[in-house]
Amino acid sequence: MAVVPDSGVLTFSIFKWSSYSSTYLPENILVDKPNDQSSRWSSESNYPPQFLILKLERPAIVQSITFGKYEKTHVCNLKKFKVFGGMSEENMTELLSSGLKNDYNKETFTLKHKIDEQMFPCRFVKIVPLMSWGPSFNFSIWYIELHGIEDPDVVQPCLNWYSKYREQEAIRLCLKHFRQHNYTEAFESLQKKTRIALEHPMLTHLHDQLVLQGDFDVCEELIDKAVRDGLFNQYISQQEYKPRWSQIIPKCNKGDGDDNRPGMRGGHQMVIDVQTETVYLFGGWDGTQDLADFWAYSVQENQWSCISRDTEKESGPSARSCHKMCIDSQRRQIYTLGRYLDSSVRNSKSLKSDFYRYDIDANTWTLLSEDTSADGGPKLVFDHQMCMDSEKHMIYTFGGRILTCNGSVEDSRTSEPQFSGLYAYHCHAGTWSLLREDSCNAGPEDVQSRIGHCMLFHTRNRCLYVFGGQRSKTYLNDFFSYDVDGDHVEIISDGTKKDSGMVPMTGFTQRATIDPELNEIHVLSGLSKDKDKREENVRNSFWIYDIARNNWSCVYKNDQTVKENPGKALQEEEPCPRFAHQLVYDEMHKVANAHMFPGGSCSPTEVMWCSLSVFSLARFEEKAQSEPLSALKYLQNDLSLTVDHADPEETKEFQLLPSALFKSSSDFIPLGFSDVDQTYAQRTQLFDTLVNFFPDSMTPPKGNLVDLITL
Amino acid sequence: MSTSNANFKNKCVTQVNCIFCESLLCTRGMKAVLLADTEIELFSTDIPPNRTVDFVASCYSTESCKCKLRDIACLKCGNVVGYHVVAPCKPCLLSCNNGHFWMFNSEAVSTLNRLDVTGLNLLLWGDLPELDDSENEESESPLEEECIR
Repeated sequence: MAVVPDSGVLTFSIFKWSSYSSTYLPENILVDKPNDQSSRWSSESNYPPQFLILKLERPAIVQSITFGKYEKTHVCNLKKFKVFGGMSEENMTELLSSGLKNDYNKETFTLKHKIDEQMFPCRFVKIVPLMSWGPSFNFSIWYIELHGIEDPDVVQPCLNWYSKYREQEAIRLCLKHFRQHNYTEAFESLQKKTRIALEHPMLTHLHDQLVLQGDFDVCEELIDKAVRDGLFNQYISQQEYKPRWSQIIPKCNKGDGDDNRPGMRGGHQMVIDVQTETVYLFGGWDGTQDLADFWAYSVQENQWSCISRDTEKESGPSARSCHKMCIDSQRRQIYTLGRYLDSSVRNSKSLKSDFYRYDIDANTWTLLSEDTSADGGPKLVFDHQMCMDSEKHMIYTFGGRILTCNGSVEDSRTSEPQFSGLYAYHCHAGTWSLLREDSCNAGPEDVQSRIGHCMLFHTRNRCLYVFGGQRSKTYLNDFFSYDVDGDHVEIISDGTKKDSGMVPMTGFTQRATIDPELNEIHVLSGLSKDKDKREENVRNSFWIYDIARNNWSCVYKNDQTVKENPGKALQEEEPCPRFAHQLVYDEMHKVANAHMFPGGSCSPTEVMWCSLSVFSLARFEEKAQSEPLSALKYLQNDLSLTVDHADPEETKEFQLLPSALFKSSSDFIPLGFSDVDQTYAQRTQLFDTLVNFFPDSMTPPKGNLVDLITL
Repeated sequence: MSTSNANFKNKCVTQVNCIFCESLLCTRGMKAVLLADTEIELFSTDIPPNRTVDFVASCYSTESCKCKLRDIACLKCGNVVGYHVVAPCKPCLLSCNNGHFWMFNSEAVSTLNRLDVTGLNLLLWGDLPELDDSENEESESPLEEECIR
């Protein structure tokens, strides 16, 4: 019976409003007159709470909401808003959190209207403006349309389900409450009468063994089995990454001078060979001149070795900075393209874009092209991006500013900068093809070129991911992907909708790496320009983009600028914020090495889970109350073995444990009505903690009955 | 920009209200015409209207001259009521003008000629006390390095 019910326009009236100003009444949103500036609701101020509550004529499944606009852009348009819905005014749930574009087009958004594939009805819809496009201006809504299903044949069953669902959740809360307080008879009686399950049978069994029997050994086995069955995977995947910086201090042999490590520099390039865990470093700018030294760092040995002091002398590239390198780990070859030339030397030095390849095993450089531009490839560029496609033996390069000859000093300032497009290099044939020219058009397949952006190649889905960058004075916020096999551009975000704080700030010198297995992009940002504050601050921030879920999360943000805390110990814990640095990612070992002098690395933390220690602690605490001496022995022998004494946090926690031996049990205050003792209460608490690791579909309700009581 | 220096002392001081929501925008307005196109009438003022308008969008220039402008809107209703000259161009600065940098479009405002203390005569600009010229101009971002390394 797969009949799709018809969705139509829903009738509603204005039920409540927070405020309005002048003639901008709430009722105006019922009418769509885009050319009338007064046909809107406008709040009296932008101080919260501001809202409009709409009442539907009949309960309905509200599937989408449409916002009308004014014929011109307007500062009062809602940049951020939320929509809530429910059967009653007091009991509403969030249906949508989004924002409008500041233009003149209607926008429609899908509203949440299902719980676990079951549609639920609403009678009230509440629109809460949060931010307007002009921060000091009031909120305005021009026109609202709600779409959904009003047909009673469809809505009534949903209403019935909704009532039943609420009833069921109420009973489960009661069951949970009864069990927590050991009202066994009430619990059994209710469960028998309603036949509603509080939780998955496995958790009931765990509760029985843990809280009632206190059999920790069996509990350990149950948890072990749960871990092996992958029941905790959902919890683990939702955990945030925790950054952990550790300074890399490479070995230096006695007698070596300063020559055994690369000197400080910016504008250099690093690539990592994950197979051999070697990081290659070439070139850069030391503040005075370009460099041509070539180094290899072994992660295993923690040591630098110099491959060449001057690659030019070995048929390799001349000294350069702001070039780009990429590595073909399969064939063990490194490519380098592009470089920056100061305006003072641009006339004298050749502007040919030379292209080199280094063979790691043979330790030889090959000049692939004297001038890629003459070969149909890009002109001489800097601050571009390059990616290697080992599978098809191709190289992709995009963006960068083209270096041009200056007629005179005046010309160089006023001439429009030119940016390079998207090119592909066929390594086997040694030929170039132009895939996309730099275009300022907004067509679906057009790409706008830029400098200082990030570009990554996803080896699994064979797409290039490009984001950020700068084009003259404009910082770009867009994010798009290019399918190399299908020759197709997909715009992930056009950069107009900006949730400050929710996505990496428009930055320059972002460094990013990709993990095709985890389907994530990692971004480390140095220099970033906060549009609102209009300062350029150097601050560290580390972001992770989940490709499948299309969302950014900030793992780490150092809000201090370099100037604020020069002497602080912060510099010892993490590299001080900087730009023109380099980031390489070892996807096999899931470790990112940010090459920043003196160096740093950070890794995602594994979920800190040790089932043994949880039960050992519980055992210890119960023993401490009844048999203190036996508990002490247990602490010294068994528990001590499970502690990682090298970890300062764990050691500290372990050292605090003996105090439990001296605590009197009068600390426990029994609740008035139940006969629950301390042991029962502690075990229940432990059970509640363990329950959090299981998927929500298996667990009892998260809330507690007592929390519904308000004073 | 606007009319010549000599005349402005005899000009009326006008009160400027937003035509859309009738809220007060400014109490020190002067009727003027645009230098670049004398057909266009507008109202200008010397001090930044305080807490009645705010900027919208970003700077722009018109075809007529290279002055850098930025639109202002009424804080109550959000409608654009005029513009502010962020940075005047050389030709405009050198020619005769009343030195006002804040303009209101005549179609966006309704005005009222103000009366003086006696309540019998029109209040003139010559009667108003002198002001300190403390313009709050936007500061430009410094010339950026071409290549950061």
